[in-house]
Amino acid sequence: MWDGVIIGGGLAGLVAGIRASERGKKLMLVAEGTGSLTYSSGALDIGAIDLLQRSEKHPYALLQEKSIRDGLAYFQTLFPEYRENAEKPPLVLTPLGSCRTGGLAPAGLIADRLSQVRNIVLMAPKGMKDFFASVVKANLEKEFCQSTVRIYPFQVSAFASWYQVGRPVNGIEYARFWRTETGMQELGRLLGELTQDIEGSSVAVVFPGLTRVFSESLQKLLAQFPFPVVEMTDMSPAFGGDILHEALKRKFKELGGEMMIGSGVWQADCEGKTCQQVRVKSKGRDSILKAKEFILATGGVFGGGVEVTPTGAQEKVLKIPLFLPSEWTQAQFLREQPYARLGVEVDAALRPLDPQSGELIFKNVRVVGRMLAHWDPWVEFCGGGVSVATGWLAGETL
Amino acid sequence: MLAYSTQVVIVGGGATGVGILRDLSMRGISALLFEQGDLAHGTSSRFHGLLHSGARYVVKDPVAATECIKENLILKKIAANCIADTGGWFVQMKEDDPDFVERWLAGCAASGIPVQEISVEEARSREPLLNSETVRVFEVPDAAVDGFKIIWGNAHSAQRYGGQYKIYHQVTQLLREGDQITGILGIDHVTGEKFKAKGDVVVNAAGAWASQIAGSAGIPLEVICDKGTLLAFNHRLFNRVINRLRTPGDGDIFVPHETITILGTTSEIIDSPQRNQPSDAEVRRLMDLGTQLLPRLAEQRVLRAFSGVRPLHREDQEVPGSEEVGREVSRNFALIDHEVQDGVHGFISIVGGKFTTYRLMAEKVADWVAEKLGNQVPCRTAEESLVPAITEALRARAFQLLPLGATDKMLERLGEWAPLVLDQIEANPAKGQMLCECELVSVAEVEHAVTDADTHSLSDIRRKTRLGMGTCQGAFCSYRALPLLWQEEEKYSSLKDQLIEFLNQRWKGIRPVLWGQQLRETELTRAVYSGILRLGDSKKA
Repeated sequence: MWDGVIIGGGLAGLVAGIRASERGKKLMLVAEGTGSLTYSSGALDIGAIDLLQRSEKHPYALLQEKSIRDGLAYFQTLFPEYRENAEKPPLVLTPLGSCRTGGLAPAGLIADRLSQVRNIVLMAPKGMKDFFASVVKANLEKEFCQSTVRIYPFQVSAFASWYQVGRPVNGIEYARFWRTETGMQELGRLLGELTQDIEGSSVAVVFPGLTRVFSESLQKLLAQFPFPVVEMTDMSPAFGGDILHEALKRKFKELGGEMMIGSGVWQADCEGKTCQQVRVKSKGRDSILKAKEFILATGGVFGGGVEVTPTGAQEKVLKIPLFLPSEWTQAQFLREQPYARLGVEVDAALRPLDPQSGELIFKNVRVVGRMLAHWDPWVEFCGGGVSVATGWLAGETL
Repeated sequence: MLAYSTQVVIVGGGATGVGILRDLSMRGISALLFEQGDLAHGTSSRFHGLLHSGARYVVKDPVAATECIKENLILKKIAANCIADTGGWFVQMKEDDPDFVERWLAGCAASGIPVQEISVEEARSREPLLNSETVRVFEVPDAAVDGFKIIWGNAHSAQRYGGQYKIYHQVTQLLREGDQITGILGIDHVTGEKFKAKGDVVVNAAGAWASQIAGSAGIPLEVICDKGTLLAFNHRLFNRVINRLRTPGDGDIFVPHETITILGTTSEIIDSPQRNQPSDAEVRRLMDLGTQLLPRLAEQRVLRAFSGVRPLHREDQEVPGSEEVGREVSRNFALIDHEVQDGVHGFISIVGGKFTTYRLMAEKVADWVAEKLGNQVPCRTAEESLVPAITEALRARAFQLLPLGATDKMLERLGEWAPLVLDQIEANPAKGQMLCECELVSVAEVEHAVTDADTHSLSDIRRKTRLGMGTCQGAFCSYRALPLLWQEEEKYSSLKDQLIEFLNQRWKGIRPVLWGQQLRETELTRAVYSGILRLGDSKKA
């Protein structure tokens, strides 16, 4: 019998698992797929907490301000390289070279320093996929108008055969390369050459396809140079999100958590308001996991936790009835899309409620992250914050 | 004001219009075509893509059926690169009337349509998704046709013979002097400037807009706008066209096109050619009807829903298929000589018709025009291929430079321009990368489309290259096309506006079918453009 079974291994599920394990709970985490963190750049959006708390039934509105702050602070104790600035959210660079607020971001991504220099060197790795140097330069010059931007093309002998046949090198492939022995030597040599080539002291370097988070050696190497090196966020799938996912899983395991990855929970056995056990298809027959508590962290529509058909929508694991908006879409694609707010309604303790009657459905289930109703990461820019805060609260109270 | 002068002005750049342009040009008659949007802006870009064998019409309209089979064979000869000769099945389900089957078989024989019966066991093994409760299955020479390729093929063939066309040039009115139509007035949507064109003859091939064109000179012409909605599924559900063997109705045809399948269609008389947004009710109806032929339909991913407006000619109910003075009527299409009908010279309208018979319609119009102009050159559009054949040498060279799956697609799209694009890839291998990974379109090919004088938006690029028409519906390739547009700064409106317009246009077709995997893809697209690129944020420029 587990203290808790966590269904879903994304940001919210893993944060919940880490906190609960730290508190001495024995946990099993079941994840069907790879989670959505791989699509993320690794910078976590927090959003305007004060504003969103005034939005009825928003996850931030359900949580006390203190819980949200505690949850975010907790994340920073787990991963000290992640910085937040409560007064002024840090800026990070989009793959196009424009700026956006970064919420909670690893130090390497924070781009505010660029407004303090007169010269920006934009590294242009040969053949890097979905990277367009002249567009990035134009956007950097627009954003940091006190600075001139110089494009610095370079190539790497490790990818010579790729260049020759015109095969693009993904940001992930470059990022992985820089973290190898050979890669770090190459990086040292490259930045050394650059140091010789630079004139003046007011210089910063923008380096796409480089991620230093969770790599002490890379950070030590970069610190040797007389200029700050600013990373860029990447198009999906991105190394930054992937490495954060790995770090979360590692932490969870170090604290004694166990994981089953590759097969999902296909059925839950419940009695009244208590969920007793869940079934996972494993090696041709079901594994049965009994637990005192369950955390549903299955990621909503994108994560696969909600299935939408032409005739309706269903929460796949526990069959919890969903809040469904009456309008579904509107014409401006990148604006408010009502369907995005579908999900499970919960009480302040994150326990699922019936959307019609408000009645408690399960006493021993907590719902976290994207599965919750009444929020939309793509217009509110609070995906990371909601996942971390609700995950932390579930792990804290399990 | 810019003034053009030609022998024949053609209004409308759909299949019929470009077909006429080609036919006239091949006969040595100078012709200039004006199209309000991009080629195939109207019905020709919003149809089923079915090259009829004619079997669908044998019982109710044998004249149309006979025309179809003849044109079917001609097009397979002259436009082989635009057609996938999949064959088609007519499938009788247990509810279907067996008497109809007998009349259908007799009708096929009478119209010259070859029919072969397939055993039900063989049918089930060849098409596992087909409803297993079929009674009888018959094979006919239906095929799948790529409308864009046919239209570009006709347009370029016409150009080779001196024909010209201008897109984004909307004809706003006919010029009438007494009882003579002398030309047209229009507006160039790219520059915003008005233009004029004088011609000995004006041909009205404006499809759903034909009555507006005729009406501008006080000439009454009734065109019925009949809306048909279609669903594009993300997979090749069947390997051949599948028809229901019964009186033709809604939602009873599936047509495979490369990696997708189109289910259609519906029929609703509407009041304007602009009303081409599919409704939720139409989508539900199609899903219900399609399930009868493919029981597991609801599990299949729908890419998008779209609607086309069929421009139909009002049939004379009392005398079906008759020849009134001044008209040639096959229940299929009508050629209206306004000299006979309305006493107005130099003006002809062509209304109705099916894509399958566009070449025949064009031939009839060209015959009429040639007679008026005293030109005796016979029609050769059925003899000569639309596109010069791809040589073995060119094909071999392309296989060296592009991935296997991409090569044939590129060669078929680009034809004689293929060497130009291959040169670019040879000079810079990075340009052989697939910019659109769903439809396998290289960077070099997209660049070629971007720099074309006729290309003004991401949507134009989409029609020419199929960028954004595949599984991701533009999620990744639109981002990759932006820097190419950026290089041609003066030609394109702000990149962000281009992108938002393109995404909104794709969104129109996705909204009515937003469930399952398509909904998940939509969330990913929002994550990329709104979250990672922050392009939806109105606060940031």
